Amino acid sequence: MKAPFSAYLDSIAPAVHEIVDTLSYYYDYVSALSTDSSGLQIVISQHSKTITNSNMTTERGTVVRVCKDGLYSEYAFDVLDPANTGSICAVIKGTLDKQIASLKSLGVEAYTTGILSDEPLTLRVEKEAEELPENADIEKLAEYFGRLSDSGMKEIPDALDCQLRGVSTHISKMFISRNRDLRQSYVYTEGSVMAFSPNEAGEPKLYYDGVSGCGGIEILYGLEDKMKRGPQIVRDLIFAEKLVPGEYDVITEPGITGLIAHEAFGHGVEMDMFVKERALGKEYIGKRVGSDLVTMHEGALCSESVTAYAFDDEGTLAGDVTEIDHGILKTGICDALSALRLGTVPTGNGKRENFSHKVYTRMTNTVFDSGTDTLEDMIASISFGYLLEGMDSGMEDPKHWGIQCLISRGYEIKDGKLTGKVVSPVIMTGYVPDLLGSISMASTDRRVDGNGACGKGHKEWVKVADGGPYLKMKARLG
Amino acid sequence: MMEANTFNLIRNKLDVMDLYGYEITEESVTGWEFYFIRHKLDQNRAKKIGSINVTVYRLLDEGKNVGNANASFSPTVTEEEIDKTLADLYFEAGLVKDPVYKLNDKQLAELPEGQAPDVAVISSDFIKAMNRIPENDAEYLNSYEIFANAVKRHFLNSNGVEYTVTYPSSTLEVVTNARDESHEVELYRMYTSGTCDENRIKDDVTRVLGFGKDRLSSVPTPKLGSYDVIFSTEAAAQIYSYLTYQMSAGFVVRKYSDMEIGKPLSSEFSGDKVSIRIVPQLENSSCSFSADSEGASITERYILKDGVGCGYWGSRKFCQYLGLDDCSNAYNFVVDGGMDSEETIRSGNYLEIVEFSDFQVDPVAGDIAGEIRLGYLHTDEGAKIVCGGSVSGSMKEAVSDMKFSAETVQYDTMVIPKVTRLKNLRINGAE
Repeated sequence: MKAPFSAYLDSIAPAVHEIVDTLSYYYDYVSALSTDSSGLQIVISQHSKTITNSNMTTERGTVVRVCKDGLYSEYAFDVLDPANTGSICAVIKGTLDKQIASLKSLGVEAYTTGILSDEPLTLRVEKEAEELPENADIEKLAEYFGRLSDSGMKEIPDALDCQLRGVSTHISKMFISRNRDLRQSYVYTEGSVMAFSPNEAGEPKLYYDGVSGCGGIEILYGLEDKMKRGPQIVRDLIFAEKLVPGEYDVITEPGITGLIAHEAFGHGVEMDMFVKERALGKEYIGKRVGSDLVTMHEGALCSESVTAYAFDDEGTLAGDVTEIDHGILKTGICDALSALRLGTVPTGNGKRENFSHKVYTRMTNTVFDSGTDTLEDMIASISFGYLLEGMDSGMEDPKHWGIQCLISRGYEIKDGKLTGKVVSPVIMTGYVPDLLGSISMASTDRRVDGNGACGKGHKEWVKVADGGPYLKMKARLG
Repeated sequence: MMEANTFNLIRNKLDVMDLYGYEITEESVTGWEFYFIRHKLDQNRAKKIGSINVTVYRLLDEGKNVGNANASFSPTVTEEEIDKTLADLYFEAGLVKDPVYKLNDKQLAELPEGQAPDVAVISSDFIKAMNRIPENDAEYLNSYEIFANAVKRHFLNSNGVEYTVTYPSSTLEVVTNARDESHEVELYRMYTSGTCDENRIKDDVTRVLGFGKDRLSSVPTPKLGSYDVIFSTEAAAQIYSYLTYQMSAGFVVRKYSDMEIGKPLSSEFSGDKVSIRIVPQLENSSCSFSADSEGASITERYILKDGVGCGYWGSRKFCQYLGLDDCSNAYNFVVDGGMDSEETIRSGNYLEIVEFSDFQVDPVAGDIAGEIRLGYLHTDEGAKIVCGGSVSGSMKEAVSDMKFSAETVQYDTMVIPKVTRLKNLRINGAE
């Protein structure tokens, strides 16, 4: 079924148009983004159960962006009386004027930016989803999660707990400017299973896996399949040994491949970082940053994932950018204001944590292209190394292209065969061009994951997805 | 705040439902934000937002179990939406059966509501502070973002426990840059606090600018194998955060922690024995409250004393599962200083790591991990500035012989020893 666009947003649309028109009398540019996203979060474990209609992406509110004499300002609010738009217009103008007066008294100078494009466009997109979160059969879902948790406790050795988590949001967003009226509605859903078992020393070892995608509650019913490998993975972790630090030939499973894509070239080519002279990527456009096997795409159109929107939070249509083409860095991704500063075009990557937060250049789907090798051939090609599985977390360093990936486990490969020996945890560090330059094989398949959230620095959390095929490379492990 | 009648409307509807109990929390935030590149304004923003959060509780299975469900209401919620959501909550609460526990019923001593913070003044103070940081052509601020918020929270539960607090909550994100003729070094900091503490910001950012300059002349970290590591920056808070979680009622009930009252963190100690206490109020913390999010009074008390568990903290539910009726969540922690001075802790050979890409101590497993972005390697031959490689280890092992200084320092909600020394961590070099 189509995920219907918010009736609330349709009802306030005339008022938002009125606000834009009124403020346009005072400002050189005015636009508004209104959101009405409802959802659910359900967590079932042996020791705790939670059901709520609130999650990271549920929200209802409006942010108005204005520009006067080259300075862009924003005001976010969530109380709107459609019958009295003059009142909120007065609050917006009054508050922003007060801020400008305060800045002037402190002698603060401001950057001057051009006027955003406002080409006429009308759009209404409603994407498909089978079971909307607002109509979810919560009883069935709670029973399903309870059954999976019980089954995890039985099958996972010495499990201390087995937690199932499901999150789903029906997102409705409306962008209105003098010449634009864009409305979109879609649903994203993600689910995860997490289980703990102690090793001999009593240290809890964590098993984690997940499902995600652009769609409704139906996606959560894929968790049962994911749990089939759980008991073996927990056994692997319990008996895992400490890694001997060093440089190794490694194969990254698609989850780790995605983490590398995200940390290495996701953050490294977010072009708001170019504006601040914070990214090394700016100097590498047109240059080699990886082996011939490295082609990477970024954009909301790349995959029907948790971030497969039709337009971004600045009213720019979603894109599909080839960031790296056969090892050569072609371009980055850009929000609309940064694009004006840099003299380029926005790529549909202007995202907010929610309506009350600022837009930054953010990733959507960041994905390595597949190759021509089989996983079996890749393993057979390694005399000593590891198959890395289980993404924990990562961190970038756009100025120096350093990368850190925390990985759950590594499966030892010796003389072209998996030995059954496991090491855990694994810290992979390195210099991005060296890491990508060492990629020598890529598998034919690929997977895109969208569990969790991505921050800018240590804040501004948004949904992203990433992935690719199995990749063979050389990496420093610790 | 939101319309008073929305809060009362929801409250009145809850009062006539067949519930075991309910909690309503209404929160409003007024914020001013300024974004700078170097010292020029890139964008200014303001916000006024709010929400009402409701949790309903039902008694199930003849009083053996309790179920709960939670929802957030936007200020523009209609009465029809309220009715539907409350009906959904009632049904959903019947699906999540937990062993029965009670909501808070102890009335709070009258809490001072506090004056509404002036976000214009707080943000101006931050701007002035940032302009007073000494910079030069080689070491300077790349960019910074200022967030000044005034938060008002009103809590009420079905037992009549009620309070209102108003407090400031600020964030400052700073990116520094250091350069020489051939390359540049960027370092990142995010400071959270109540209002602007100019001296703290000036001291710390100046120190960070110095780190950037040092990293320009760093050499790759050698393969040190097993080595003592000193933590002297905010990253050390991760170490103590791990220790506080070992006494979290939620962790203990779920068996993520095997700690209990009277049990030591280690079977044998050869270093300092850590003592950590909860405090309700901490000067300029972004979370200075005398009551928690469930209406329990927060009192000063130890959770770890001389390395031994002596008190739990956490939600009402998990505390009661441990048999504690008088317990609360905690937001501010103070770690007592150690036996020796900073100078004594710094004796002998060690690697002091002051910059990581993202230092982490897994709160459950205790695994320590971080990529080294700047360190000072102290050996008999003197000090060497190093960069690259990684540190790893386990807090479960390190806690037995860790050493920390008598001098302490505050990082927002935590007061911790100024320097902490963990022995025999694994250093994977970058040479």
